[in-house]
Amino acid sequence: MMKALGFLSRRRFLTASASLGIGTIAAPYVARADDPTLRITGWGGKWGEVMKSEIGPAFESEFKCKLQIDSAFPYLPKLQASSRSAPIYDVMHTNSNEQWAAAEMGLVEPKIDAKLVPNLADVYPYAISDKIVGVSIFTSAIGLGMRTDKGYSGVTSWKELWDAKYNGVRGGYVIPVNSLGQAFLMMCGTLFGKGQTDLDAAYMALEKLKPIKIVDFTGAMEKMLLSGEVGMCVIHDSGIYRYDGQNQPTDFISPSEGVLSLEQVLTITPGSKMKELANAYVNYMLRPEVQKRLAETVWYSPANRKVKLDPKYDAKLLTTPEKVSKLIQVDWKWYNERKDEIDQRVNRIFRA
Amino acid sequence: MSSTATTRPNGLALFILPSALLFALFFFLPIGLMAVMSVLTGNPVVMPKVAFTTRHYARMIGDPFYFEVIWTTIRIGLVTTLVALLIGYPLAHWMARIKSRSGHALLLMAVLAPMLTGIVVRTFAWMTLLSDKGVINETLISLGLISQPLKLMYTETGIVVGLVHIYVPFMVLTLTGVIGRIDERLEQAAENLGASPLRAFIEVTLPLSLPGILAGSLLVFALAISAYVTPILLGGFQIMTLPILIYQQISANFNVGFAAALGIILLMISLLLVIAYNRALGLVSGQRELQ
Repeated sequence: MMKALGFLSRRRFLTASASLGIGTIAAPYVARADDPTLRITGWGGKWGEVMKSEIGPAFESEFKCKLQIDSAFPYLPKLQASSRSAPIYDVMHTNSNEQWAAAEMGLVEPKIDAKLVPNLADVYPYAISDKIVGVSIFTSAIGLGMRTDKGYSGVTSWKELWDAKYNGVRGGYVIPVNSLGQAFLMMCGTLFGKGQTDLDAAYMALEKLKPIKIVDFTGAMEKMLLSGEVGMCVIHDSGIYRYDGQNQPTDFISPSEGVLSLEQVLTITPGSKMKELANAYVNYMLRPEVQKRLAETVWYSPANRKVKLDPKYDAKLLTTPEKVSKLIQVDWKWYNERKDEIDQRVNRIFRA
Repeated sequence: MSSTATTRPNGLALFILPSALLFALFFFLPIGLMAVMSVLTGNPVVMPKVAFTTRHYARMIGDPFYFEVIWTTIRIGLVTTLVALLIGYPLAHWMARIKSRSGHALLLMAVLAPMLTGIVVRTFAWMTLLSDKGVINETLISLGLISQPLKLMYTETGIVVGLVHIYVPFMVLTLTGVIGRIDERLEQAAENLGASPLRAFIEVTLPLSLPGILAGSLLVFALAISAYVTPILLGGFQIMTLPILIYQQISANFNVGFAAALGIILLMISLLLVIAYNRALGLVSGQRELQ
C-alpha cells in the first residue's frame, strides 16, 4: 500500500497519523483556549446533571466563556488555601453558614452589586436580607420528614420529634458539619428557651433527643428514611419531594412553629479576575427561566418572585410571599462566632 | 586509582536519590509544614500578618474532651491490632506451612479477595449486615429471638469489626513472609528433644516470628488509628476519633492550625507507641537489635 502511494513513506504516514490524532484530541481545547474561564462551585446529583447538560452550556454559549465547575465538597477549605489575589473560584455556591464564614475571612464579597445584577430587584427580601451574604438563589424548607407507613399521624409541631415513640427511629445531623443540624440547634433554642440564641436550652433539648441516629449529609438521611432505618427526622423539603412519583412512603411536614431556611447562596470572590462574568453568572442564575428549570429539577424554591412553576411544584414549594413568610432565617454570623464552643458541646452530647 | 574511586559518584546513591527526594517531598515536607502550621495563627502564604502561637496546643490541653478522643482512637487501634493478630497469625502460619501449591494459592486468593474491593464498599457491606434494619437484626427478629434490634452499629465494636476485616490481609501477608522463612527443622528438633508441638511453637516459632508480628502490628495499628471512612460510617459519628476531628476542623471549622496540632499529637502518640512496642517486643524476644 505504501509503495502504491509512492510519495507517502512509512515515517511520513506515522507522523501524519500522530499529528492528526493529537490535533483531534486537542482541537476543542485549542478552539476554546481564548475563551475566558469562570470557575464556580456547585452540587452534584440532579443539580450537577442539569447544570452540566443544560444550564452550564447555555451560559457558555451566550457569554462566550467556559464554565469550570468544582462539585467536590468542601469548597471553603480549598478557597481558604488559595491565594487571595488569584482565588481558586470566581463564584462560590454553598450554604449560608459557610458563606458567612468565608465573608468573615474576607474570602468572598459580602454583598452583590444590584447595578451589576439587575435580577436582584426581583428576588424575595429573604434572599438579600441582613442574614445573607451574597444572594440566595434558592431555598429549601427545613422541617420534619416522616414515614407514612408506620402509623405516625397528627404531627404538626417540631416538638413531636422528642416523643419517646420515635426512640430508635429518630434521625438528625452531625451538627459541626451540617447546615441542617446547625439550623436545628438554633430552632431548639426557640422551641425550649428564649430564642435562637438560647444555647443552654438548645443543649438540654438535644440531650433529650437521644437515642438519635445522626448523619453528615442530607443524602444519607434520605436513604435512611427510605430504608426505614429512621421514621422521623429533620430534613429539607427537597429531600422528600425529589422522590415524588416514586410511591415512597415518606412525607414532609412543615411544623406550625415555622420552617428553617436552607439557602443556596452565591458570592463573588474579591480577587476574581472575572468580575464582569461572575456578576453575569449570578444574574443568569436568577433569570426566571433558569430558576424554573432548576427548581423543577431539584425541588428548590426559587428566590425570584417572577418565576411561575408548574402547578405540581407550585403547590409544594415556597412560591408566594405568604409561603415565604414562614421561613425562619438563622443568624449565621452569631452562630459562627460561637461555632467552636458549640461543636465541643454537641460532640460531647452525641458521643456514644 | 584510589583517588578516582573516591571522586566517582556512588552508583547506588544515584539510584536511591529519586526515591529519597520523593520521600522528602511527600513525607518530610508535609509533616514539617503541618508542624509549622500548628504553631501559627494562620496560613502565611495567603495571610499577611501571621504570628507564632501555642493556643492550638493550649486548647487541647485545656479540654479533657480531646484526651478522651485521643484515648478512643488509640483504644480502637489497639483492639483492632490485637484482633487482627489473633485472626491473622493462624492463617499466616497455615499459609506459610501448607505443602499444596493450589492450597496456598487458594488461601492467598481468599486473603487478597477483600482487598480487591474498595474500603467504602466493604464498609457499606458491613452496614447492611449490622444496621438496625440489617441482615443480622432482621433475621434474629424474624426468628423471634429478639424483639428490638441489637445495637451492632454506632459502637466501637462495630468499628473494630469493620477495621479488622479491612486490615487482616495486611497482617497475614506480613506474617506469612516471616513465618515462611523460619526453618521448620528447628521445630522438629524441639519436638525430638521432647517438646510438645504447642511448646515447640511457643518457644521456637513464636519468638522467631516476632519481627513479623511487630511489622504487621505496627502496620495495622497505624492504618487503624488513621482510618476515617470506617469509623465514620460504622460509628455513625457517635464515636469520635482524631481523624474525624481533624477533618471536622478543616472542612467545617476552617481551623487549619488546630487541625495541624491534632495531627502532630496523633503522630507523636503513634511514634511513642511504636518505640514502646518495639522495645517491649525486643525485651520479650531477647533480640535487642530489634530496637
